[in-house]
Amino acid sequence: MTQPTPADIWVIIPAYNEEKVIRQTLEEVLAHPFQVVVIDDCSTDQTAAAAKDLPIHFLQHPINMGQGAALQTGNTYAQAQGAQWVVHFDADGQHRVADILPMVAPLWAGEADITLGSRFLAGGSGEAMPALRKAVLKLGRIFHGLLTGLWLTDAHNGYRALNAKALATIHITQNGMAHNSEIIQETARHQLRYKEVPVVIRYSDYSLAKGQSIWNAANIVGDLLVKRLFQ
Amino acid sequence: MKPVQFILLPLLVLLLIVFTKRLRKQVLLKGVFICIILALMVLTVFPDVTTTLANWVGVGRGVDLVFYFGMLGLSVSCLFLYLRSVRLEEQLTELARTIALQEADSPSEKPT
Repeated sequence: MTQPTPADIWVIIPAYNEEKVIRQTLEEVLAHPFQVVVIDDCSTDQTAAAAKDLPIHFLQHPINMGQGAALQTGNTYAQAQGAQWVVHFDADGQHRVADILPMVAPLWAGEADITLGSRFLAGGSGEAMPALRKAVLKLGRIFHGLLTGLWLTDAHNGYRALNAKALATIHITQNGMAHNSEIIQETARHQLRYKEVPVVIRYSDYSLAKGQSIWNAANIVGDLLVKRLFQ
Repeated sequence: MKPVQFILLPLLVLLLIVFTKRLRKQVLLKGVFICIILALMVLTVFPDVTTTLANWVGVGRGVDLVFYFGMLGLSVSCLFLYLRSVRLEEQLTELARTIALQEADSPSEKPT
């Protein structure tokens, strides 16, 4: 196989009501030769108009279904287009484009099937985080450890990269925000090789206001319990 | 006949008609509902039956027995409805995803 290049990387960006930031985020990503897939999760604002004329793959859900559903739509699309390397990227500018290649590097080297961004590895951005958020993330880490047996250094930052094997193996059924835990569960269940990569998450006022409140952790646990009990 | 029986009986008859008409294909569900409604009719006409039944199973008053079973029945139907809504959501997701994939715009299709 020929050496993969950045043009072989598919950056999947779910977006819901991100009209203020989506264009800037996309322009930053498009400064590189990546393939960019935007899934507009039926936004009620001008997200679609702000993104559509850029050289991207643009998909739109006919109804709002949540970030997990949007990511799976992006995965399915990329897979159908023959993607070998996929990165999940946030629309609101909290993920850095500079971390995309380091996230994919272990996949290219054949060391892992899936990489997960971590703010708490050396070189990550964990130090700058509000204390309460940090505490909830630590709990999330323990929750994931108990649930899946994977003891990660971080949980829930949404930055991850998948190779073709992980893409074909993991099917996200959690439409809401529990998809992150589901992906970790699936990684453990299918014994995919995983690796954590230090990333810097930028907390702007916008992303903090828009991002998940820490109470959402309770919703996530609820979604996962329901799934475990009834399916 | 007491006034309450005049209110309850027509309502039960109405329910019986609705269920027999509506649930044409779900035979099992239909059977269960019809049995429940018929039982409720009997209990409406002969309220003392509930007290006798209650005493058999160790419950003081007939009303309490009906209440307990009512709660149980409601909980079970809530669970079934919930599971059904989960299934529907899964189907809806697949449907919406299919539409999104069919109507995807790729960069090469855009006017430059």
